[in-house]
Amino acid sequence: MIPEFHRQIGIPRVAGIEYPFGRTVGQVNDVHGQRKVLLETISCLERAKKPGEVFHLPFTWPEEPKETKWHPPEISPILKFFQDEIRKTRQQEKKSGPGL
Amino acid sequence: MYLESMLEVLPVEINEKVVDGFRFMPPTLRAWLRKDIPETDYMGEIPWTPLKKPLSRTMFSLMTSAGINLKADPPFDMEREKREPFWGDPTHREIPRDTSQDQIDANHLHVDTSFIKDDINVILPITRFAEFEREGLIGSLAPTCYSFYGYQHDFTVLMEITMPKVAAKMHDEGVEAVVLTPA
Repeated sequence: MIPEFHRQIGIPRVAGIEYPFGRTVGQVNDVHGQRKVLLETISCLERAKKPGEVFHLPFTWPEEPKETKWHPPEISPILKFFQDEIRKTRQQEKKSGPGL
Repeated sequence: MYLESMLEVLPVEINEKVVDGFRFMPPTLRAWLRKDIPETDYMGEIPWTPLKKPLSRTMFSLMTSAGINLKADPPFDMEREKREPFWGDPTHREIPRDTSQDQIDANHLHVDTSFIKDDINVILPITRFAEFEREGLIGSLAPTCYSFYGYQHDFTVLMEITMPKVAAKMHDEGVEAVVLTPA
């Protein structure tokens, strides 16, 4: 998930996790791993004292991003629509460096 | 002693992780999405409902944007989105807490749904929360959990029609906290 979106819209409580899209809670049939993630997540409800707090969960996905499957079988319609613009943005970023 | 004095000086724990939400995203897509995210914290008003009870007495529901439906219900509409790339299905589906794996389907044009079809708990952890209920870690899991479809270019129908229905049902069932899991 992308906890950075909090800066765009404001979310009461965020438990950010660095897991791939589509498997926010963990790996298939990994009962122990899913439980750890969820217990840490709901503990944020007790720890959060004011609106907008972002908690960074301390878990690491076992695969490198390039080896991790999360993409749909086909490019989504909206990304296909904006394909050229997306490429241009990346080229600009390469020239100027990432903004964040 | 040296480490202790360092820890007193440092504002955060040395091993504190900072989640990079773009880690799994290809650089091209990352650059495009990041350009609209401000560098500073959100300055508007953020809704806030304090937790009223300990977790062990709180009723939870779950909601995901993963496009899950019961096979007995209509799937989220992928065909219209293929024809109209700026449209995403703004409806929702109810997923009862005792739903079994073979009763669900998942459709989403922006993520691989095969993992969800193998184990719903990777995104809508109904089995795990039922365990927490049995173990007394939470008060209970509500009778109903929910899915909607995470790609929404125009939020109007989702926010003005769909979510009020979801909120009303949560209210009727006595839900006190919701874990939202984005796909």
